[in-house]
Amino acid sequence: MNLNYSEEQVMLKEQIQKFCETEYDFYKREDVVKSDNDFDSKVWSLFAEQGWLSMPFSEESGGFGFGPIELSILFEEFGKALVIEPYLSSVVLSGNILDNSSFADKNNIIESICSGSMHVSLAYAESTNKYDYTNPLTSLSADSKLNGTKALVLNGANASKFIVSCNSGDDLALVIIDSNADGVSVTSFPTVDGQTCSEVSFENVLVSDANIIASGSEANDLLLRAINLATLCVSAEAVGCMTSCYLKTVEYTKSREQFDQPISNFQVLQHRMVDMFIESELCKSLLIKAMLEVDTNSEDMFKHVSALKAQIGKSGKFSAQQAVQLHGGMGVSDELMIGHYLKKMLTIDALFGNSDFHVKSFSV
Amino acid sequence: MDINFTQEDLQFRDEIRDWLANGGYPTHVKHKTDNGIALTKQDMTDFHKAVSAKGWMGYNWPKEHGGTGWSATQLYIFNKEFGLGGCPPLLAFGVSMVAPVIYTFGNDEQKKRFLPDILEFNTWWCQGYSEPGSGSDLASLKTKAVREGDHYIINGSKTWTTLAQNADWIFVLVRTETTKIKQEGISFILVDMKTPGIEVKPIITIDGDHEVNSVFFTDVKVPAENLVGEEGKGWTYAKFLLAHERFGIAAIGTSMRQLKRLKNIVSELDNPEMEKKVAELEISVSALEMTELRLLSALENGGHPGAESSILKIKGTEIQQTLTELFVEAAGEYALMYPGPHGFESNSKPEGPDFVAQSISAFLNMRKVSIYGGSNEIQKNIISKFVLGV
Repeated sequence: MNLNYSEEQVMLKEQIQKFCETEYDFYKREDVVKSDNDFDSKVWSLFAEQGWLSMPFSEESGGFGFGPIELSILFEEFGKALVIEPYLSSVVLSGNILDNSSFADKNNIIESICSGSMHVSLAYAESTNKYDYTNPLTSLSADSKLNGTKALVLNGANASKFIVSCNSGDDLALVIIDSNADGVSVTSFPTVDGQTCSEVSFENVLVSDANIIASGSEANDLLLRAINLATLCVSAEAVGCMTSCYLKTVEYTKSREQFDQPISNFQVLQHRMVDMFIESELCKSLLIKAMLEVDTNSEDMFKHVSALKAQIGKSGKFSAQQAVQLHGGMGVSDELMIGHYLKKMLTIDALFGNSDFHVKSFSV
Repeated sequence: MDINFTQEDLQFRDEIRDWLANGGYPTHVKHKTDNGIALTKQDMTDFHKAVSAKGWMGYNWPKEHGGTGWSATQLYIFNKEFGLGGCPPLLAFGVSMVAPVIYTFGNDEQKKRFLPDILEFNTWWCQGYSEPGSGSDLASLKTKAVREGDHYIINGSKTWTTLAQNADWIFVLVRTETTKIKQEGISFILVDMKTPGIEVKPIITIDGDHEVNSVFFTDVKVPAENLVGEEGKGWTYAKFLLAHERFGIAAIGTSMRQLKRLKNIVSELDNPEMEKKVAELEISVSALEMTELRLLSALENGGHPGAESSILKIKGTEIQQTLTELFVEAAGEYALMYPGPHGFESNSKPEGPDFVAQSISAFLNMRKVSIYGGSNEIQKNIISKFVLGV
């Protein structure tokens, strides 16, 4: 047994760390958040140049064929630096579906995603779904018209295409629609962590057969696998956040003096930080378990991702809340990074099922 | 043992309920608080003026200074009913912080000058306590006041100053002497916010709101007559004031109201896990309410509950925070969205539960309650030292 990263994986990790340190500090991030776009086109081009946008695509599709371990590394580092570029929506969610599908036109679209020239968003959620994404109300009629409203479409404002889950007869179908097609309307809203998500409505949007990516059990499988992978990614992001939370809190309490001594001298704070450390290590353990299961495409992979997300929901919020508490007033100040980890944790908890939901999924 | 309030107390309660329900509580303010819309300075002023017009502004003052002279039980009922009625918290800085210091330690001139305006809410006060280097360890404060003839010259900075952007006056703790024991050499001075040399800079908090500020003092010249009590005795007054800050800290009425709202929302969700969490919270609320009543009973029957009241701060704030967490949880996937403290624009609201924006805003905003007014860690130190005797 060897639970260490390979040499290449360590190199990847260092490469991402270097980028976060030199190109993406907190002030840079704040500029991106405050800009009209919720991504920085220069950063996005850099992602393309580094090969990060092609990383998880199979070699046949022109990618590097990296798996969930490399994606977890990337997201863990993104979590530490609170990178908010819209990687999840285009590359992970949409990319994974396209890559694994038998959709005829997939190579052109994947190429555009990899080069950074196109964003594609997966429209999987609806206002009534309660995390069950396989029974959408949005429908594709017998005469090929798409009707319905999708909620919380990540990075919807920048997407040139949407992959939309819908019901077609009694089956689930995944179709791909141009965002400027007739009958498509997009309204965007800010997210807690400074990105945007959109409500996307389809009114009698014409869908040609060529734009159906998959239907029936194939569509079901593609959708669930993509969401499972995305759940793993945001959980890895949360582990990165938790690591930063305890490290930054230790650093702060050592430098903050009250009662003529660093507040890190107080045992109650020491134990709290130890708890934060333990929670982050336990989540890291579940992350490693889950990414290995997904990597081998095991039967139990959904279950282990659920275990991870269930734990993240509890431990992640605990860590971020304690980080804020131990930073005192500084913790709730928008100018400091620390409070933004809490906002990121709220975002992650809301995505793809919260702790209760995944405890239930795990036990089924 | 008798858990019931007296007939008079019940009448008093009904009088408050009647006032709240029948036009006393300004309807435009009520509409906003009911719908989670942020209040403007004018809204806050209207609300306080209405309370003042009813004669309730001096809720914790003795009669001789124009207060209500209420018993501890009446004060409890007043606070609880205002919370249940969905009122915004009454601003404490004037009426329940600086005023008791002025009428207890100030001179007649100061009483005449400041108390009537506080009762009528003509002046808006803010609190100059915390400093960048002095939070939990307040006595280490460094803002300096040097006496020059008939004036003090103040230099330094205060932080986390709530609503300083609206304030007419600030009460500040300043160091008038460097002493071996840091608690000595502190003085309590009242400063007109219009005095040259004062600069207020907003601090934006993680909910995106502007509630707190940094206040900088550069050669601020304040008449010596604005010193309250004796020079160097400020720490005594500061501690006296903090004891008054405990009023209503359990926020039991507000939490009960929020709990009711939460129960309504959760009852529609068909979610047994959430129902269990709400039930557990309801038990905590009940335990807190009864603990507050026990402290009240002790007070009314000749006892002197002291540090036990820190329980109210700790559990009260934990409950407030848990409530906000459960609202966020009830919003499910939609908790992803947050348009900022002022909510979605009315012409572009997304589908999904209508309480999302308010819930996220409250969740983020309420992180402060376990930090301010003596952090919950400090409260536990107080209990361990003064109650457990360790």
